[in-house]
Amino acid sequence: MTKTKKDWKKLGEKAVPYLLLLPVIIYYTAFWLHPVLVSIVGGFTDPAGHFTLQNFAMVIHDKGFVPALKNTSIIVIFSVTLEFIAALFLALLINRKFVGANFFLFLAMIPMALPSAAAGAMWITGLTAHGWVNSLLYYLGFLEKGKSIYWLAGSNTSLLALIIVIDAWQVIPSVMIILLAGLQNISEEMQEAGYVFGGDYFTVLRKITLPLLKPTIQTAVILRLISAIQIWLIVVILLGFSRMPVLVERIVYYHKVVHGLDISYQMATGYTIIVAAIVSLVSLAYLQVSGAFKRDREAEA
Amino acid sequence: MNKKTRRNIHRAAKRTTFYIFVTGVVIAMLLPIYFVVSLSFLSTREAYRYPLPLLPELKIHYKMTHGERGYLLSVYDQIDKEYQTVMDTQDLDKMSVYMKSQLGAPMSVSEIQQQIARLDTEDPIYFTRRKNLLYNYQTFFQVAGTGQAVPALIRSLEICAMTIVISLFIGGMAGYAFARYYFKGRNALKFSVLFVRMFPGVAIAMPMVIILVNMGFYDQPIGLSLVYSVGSIALTIWITASIFMGIPISLEEAAQVFGATKIQTFIRITLPLALPGLAACAMYAFLGAWNETVAAIILTQFNPTFSVVVYQTVLGAVGQVNLAAAGGIVMALPAVLFTFFIRRYIHQMWGGVTV
Repeated sequence: MTKTKKDWKKLGEKAVPYLLLLPVIIYYTAFWLHPVLVSIVGGFTDPAGHFTLQNFAMVIHDKGFVPALKNTSIIVIFSVTLEFIAALFLALLINRKFVGANFFLFLAMIPMALPSAAAGAMWITGLTAHGWVNSLLYYLGFLEKGKSIYWLAGSNTSLLALIIVIDAWQVIPSVMIILLAGLQNISEEMQEAGYVFGGDYFTVLRKITLPLLKPTIQTAVILRLISAIQIWLIVVILLGFSRMPVLVERIVYYHKVVHGLDISYQMATGYTIIVAAIVSLVSLAYLQVSGAFKRDREAEA
Repeated sequence: MNKKTRRNIHRAAKRTTFYIFVTGVVIAMLLPIYFVVSLSFLSTREAYRYPLPLLPELKIHYKMTHGERGYLLSVYDQIDKEYQTVMDTQDLDKMSVYMKSQLGAPMSVSEIQQQIARLDTEDPIYFTRRKNLLYNYQTFFQVAGTGQAVPALIRSLEICAMTIVISLFIGGMAGYAFARYYFKGRNALKFSVLFVRMFPGVAIAMPMVIILVNMGFYDQPIGLSLVYSVGSIALTIWITASIFMGIPISLEEAAQVFGATKIQTFIRITLPLALPGLAACAMYAFLGAWNETVAAIILTQFNPTFSVVVYQTVLGAVGQVNLAAAGGIVMALPAVLFTFFIRRYIHQMWGGVTV
């Protein structure tokens, strides 16, 4: 009798973690898995409820699709590269203890802390013909009085460059902080050893510092990729819908701007699935890098 | 000059260069922010000057004389250093409205009449009024989103509060499980949660339209907080797991030796120790819910959140740049404030990124 009671107690002990996890599992089933399944099912069925690939064909034939894919890829590739190089450069230069370092680190977080709607307000007021960007250039002596640059009237290429620079302004400081944290975890002895054996600054950087920084770099770059793929608000605020399509902008466009059309829901869902699939692939790369696919025992070690 | 002083000079020069460099970086980061903040305090007349004034004027100097059509009103311009005519009218109501909305230095009609009375003895007359620096902010809350700004602000705060409660409760329980127990599938579960966190919010928001309509939660604050909680629960799990791991298990065991039950131990010992970390989680959840725009656009129709109102104002900002700036600042203020409070945790998270 007592034995079975003990058994029950033991079983109860074992069940505790699962009970603690139960709310999350229920929540994620209801509000993550369920919508994801709804979305996937919706993506592969026609209005009558039959299986079809028509929705994706429609998306691919959408005249915004190829430009959206192209613009998004260009923004992702160039902004992530630029941000990474600039942030690494800054982090290497600033990597030392100095008076006011804490305050500097806080200031560096402000651009990233800005909500995207606020950042949008900042740049749209700056980039109009008589905005603060031109005023600043005038005060610095780069513009003559009365002259102004029409930032938002340029070619597609220059607009892409503009978006990339704006994104870089917002993101570089925080990537720099991540890399700084990584740099500070590297023991100085290793780098000193490099110098002792006759390496110059760049050899030590290339052979010792950067390889040791690799996990941090991977994390920073992948997390940046995930958010860069989803860029849209700044593009819409500066240029409006459809002028320079990007993937997430298409979702909002079909859901909000041209809603009411029969196809708009299918279009929005199609784009959603494409974005979700791309981001999921990148996320899997991140999980791979951070050791998610190791067995439990290895992960504890 | 001996070797030592030379080395000192060399070091000082190096340090100065370093500080100049850091200052340069800080200026580049903050200059755009400075301009929007300044723009949000400019009157409409100032905001449409080109080049823009670097600082808002604090006082407006008026000059008045008899004009062709009535009274000729001029204001002193700080940049051109001269009085510039702004209107010539007999309509004092119009003049009062202009002073309020364009110059930000309001005067009532009777105040204007008092000044005009002085015109009998001297011509021209001069008078000065303090500028209402917060005029753009007041106007933003009155007109943005056709009067939706205040309700939207309240709604956003409701959404944030609900998101905090949901994610702390559900995420905190799971975090405790991950910190204190070893069970099958622990690692896989912990990383699945991370995967959910990285999943694009827009991809949940789209199908959630139908689900929330069926639940009756579409266009309601609770609907949005259900969506935002998906991401912030995951974050809460990761943060609380590391917090609970940092609290020595021996403390809990000691409490149990003295006869406390598990639940008592948790409430009396563990929870108070974890409180600062839980506060950080709450602020993270707040930031996530406060800053989000795209799901809010998709999942609301007549009851927008504050971020949607700012987005709408900014989108139509061609007419009113100073209003858009004020809206942006209101939006940014809590975000920057909370980031300041949790900066240590953010640094830790970014620093300990390899997990």
